[in-house]
Amino acid sequence: MSKKIIPFVVAFILVCLIMVVAGVFAFSGALAAEKFGSDIVWSKAYPTAESMKVIDLTGDGQDELFIQNTSNITVFDGAGNVMWSFEYASPKTTLGDVNGDGVEDIIVYYTGTGMSVDIISKGQVTTLAQTLSIGFPARVAVIRFASGPQIVLGDNEGNILSLGLDGQPRWSSALGAAEVRGMDDALIGGQPHAAIATNDGAIAVFDAQGGQVWFHTQEQLRRMRAFDLNSDGNSEVITGGEYGAFHIYNAADGSLLFEKSLGQAVSEVRIVELNGDPSSREIVVGGKDGGVWAFSFDGTTAAQLWTGSLSDKVTEIAGIDINEDGKEEAVIGDDSGKVAVFTENGARNNLPPQYSGVTRIDVGRLNGERYVVIADGSNVEANRVNFNSIPGFQYMPLIVGLIVSAIILVIAAIIASVPPKPELKVSFQDKSRESLEAERRMLKESIADVERLRKSGEVTGDAYLARLKRLRADLADNETAFKTAGHQIKVETFKCPNCGGTLELGMDKCEYCGQVILS
Amino acid sequence: METFLCGTAIAGVVVLSIFLYLLNTARKKVAPKTAFGKKDYAPLYLSIADRPQSIIQGMDRLRIDVDKTEKAGDKWRWIPLLIFFAGIGMALIDVLLFLLGYVSFVFSAGGLVLWIAAIVMARSLRRSDTQDFPPRYSGLKQIVQILRDDLRPGSTFLGHLDLTGAMLNTKVARETRDTQDRTTQYFRDEWLALKAKLYDGNVIRVSAIQKSKKRKSYMKRSRISGKYKSKPEKFKGTEHDLKVRIVVNPEVYIMDANPKVKQGQSIGKYTITTLNTEGGIINLVASSPFEEVEHENILGVLQSAYSLLQRKAA
Repeated sequence: MSKKIIPFVVAFILVCLIMVVAGVFAFSGALAAEKFGSDIVWSKAYPTAESMKVIDLTGDGQDELFIQNTSNITVFDGAGNVMWSFEYASPKTTLGDVNGDGVEDIIVYYTGTGMSVDIISKGQVTTLAQTLSIGFPARVAVIRFASGPQIVLGDNEGNILSLGLDGQPRWSSALGAAEVRGMDDALIGGQPHAAIATNDGAIAVFDAQGGQVWFHTQEQLRRMRAFDLNSDGNSEVITGGEYGAFHIYNAADGSLLFEKSLGQAVSEVRIVELNGDPSSREIVVGGKDGGVWAFSFDGTTAAQLWTGSLSDKVTEIAGIDINEDGKEEAVIGDDSGKVAVFTENGARNNLPPQYSGVTRIDVGRLNGERYVVIADGSNVEANRVNFNSIPGFQYMPLIVGLIVSAIILVIAAIIASVPPKPELKVSFQDKSRESLEAERRMLKESIADVERLRKSGEVTGDAYLARLKRLRADLADNETAFKTAGHQIKVETFKCPNCGGTLELGMDKCEYCGQVILS
Repeated sequence: METFLCGTAIAGVVVLSIFLYLLNTARKKVAPKTAFGKKDYAPLYLSIADRPQSIIQGMDRLRIDVDKTEKAGDKWRWIPLLIFFAGIGMALIDVLLFLLGYVSFVFSAGGLVLWIAAIVMARSLRRSDTQDFPPRYSGLKQIVQILRDDLRPGSTFLGHLDLTGAMLNTKVARETRDTQDRTTQYFRDEWLALKAKLYDGNVIRVSAIQKSKKRKSYMKRSRISGKYKSKPEKFKGTEHDLKVRIVVNPEVYIMDANPKVKQGQSIGKYTITTLNTEGGIINLVASSPFEEVEHENILGVLQSAYSLLQRKAA
């Protein structure tokens, strides 16, 4: 192949490779120039929120912000003004319409006259039950069993007590011997049941009569949530362990659908619709050391989508479609106050940090605008989250690839235009018979000279052989020149079959490599 | 933060190294010096078996071809550096995007590919560089030009010009070891061999030999500390021999003693060490302690050798 063609061939191959890689990046959508930011709309002092929800608590169609900590329950309106505020001792709360007026009520399980339960409906407090036979409040949930709604209470020793909406106990049970860490409604055959888990690893699903549908134990447990991930009428119970065990159980029979060890304690688990495909749900898991994992559940098992990380213990995860592309982004806060947005492919975009550790994050409409509400150790803030992107940036690899390819082709053209370096071993040879014969004589004289020098000891060893090899090669070239010019010549040299060095006819051993030659 | 600073520092060193390499290749290459501080020339080898005019033309053509290649490379010498700056420009687009709040590595990746392409191009252009031609090259041309009119019509010059280097391993004539086990190498470089049939019927043979001496590097134990130290190789000197042999045509010349040409006589940088005129053949060996002998000195010795001949009366 011509030396002028080779640079173009190499350049063409490189250009193809570059354009293929650029095409893969451009059409996979893996690259995007996006940035997320937030502006504080309002901020109010509220220390260490335990529970927070943007929800309509007045029935006016406008959402309010419900927030609760270890001694207070407050509801802010959309502008951040306090609507109601109530002091309680060690309250645990849940939201649900218990009086049937179509508006969510706040159910408070607290330490009052004995263990008590209050209902706050549109700002009016009603005591539902007092001196209940249950311990210190840990969890409360409204479960809408087929037979009617019940308020299920869990204490810090694993005791469970269910109340009817009239405040009368329906059933009680005990699960494990430690604090209730998770209580959620789980569907079995489309009917709600209560999924409850305790800190010592006991998990059970209860029916409306307090009977255990199934019971299971695992390693010490930090989080339990139940969701019907594939909308088949049977929920999946998701647990996160103290030592990193991440399990998904079938709520119907307790069978294990998926398990994975995450290597650090699981501190939070939430559902976020990351890929915008309603046929599968994505689970985002946060770890105690800042690890973040996203899994997709397809109805039978889960697969890991990506992993990421924050600086400290993940304290809260919320899903919000910030860029309005039909896919939610995961807004995740950690114990050091960092807040980050993780996109569908796991790309992390930081939002302005909080002054103290994030305790709760929720998303909703306040005053007709969608806000991300973030509560930290001292404040609660409503943030307007914004999103910016450079349109068409995903095709930028193609443009860069074209620029680089053009430059590579120019380089190839320049290299091809440079003539090859001339050979520095040159032979000026006249082809006439006389000249060739004279040259032959000269070469033989030179060979004789070298032999003479060797005999006199002036030249020894390698130098003698190297000079002799060169002269014999010249002699062979001379013979070739004779033949090429069409003159008769008695050939006197041959090549060693082993090393290729030129030898004189009749030699039976190569002087250069020692090869024995049979001729 | 430490990781960011460390990464930035490493990237900075890499970018600076690429820049310095490309800047170095963009400049005109200066001929490197040998281990003994002498200028390194192009390693040329000419095999001569042709008429003088063809030899001269061939030598000129070789020089033109080499110059042409070198000039073609010189024309594009600064392009790799420009491509490097184009790569920097692309990386700066990513920096600009970063300052605007976007994270992108697309342009940096493109810039990196451009830097690699620039290095490949610089190396490729560097290959077109050639060291300077040795002064002996033009010296041989002068000798051929001066002797061309004395050549028998139709005959050719024969021989070689070996300018590949005087101290190659293939030119080690012998080696000696001293009592301290140090090895000294003796080099014999017959860099010029020329034979010609002359117009007057004489046959002349000229052979220029450079003899060099070098002590190889060796390990030596210090008498004070007892540590082993490596001593570098040492150039111990060089000298030149010029052997001239003229087979005299007895029909044209008779030998004539010339008082100016005798053993021990200096001719230019050479001193005659052997002179023998027996049997109608002049054998003259001249030596020179100088590191370099120019072609004028060789021609001077030839002229002196010829002055021993006297043309017979017609």
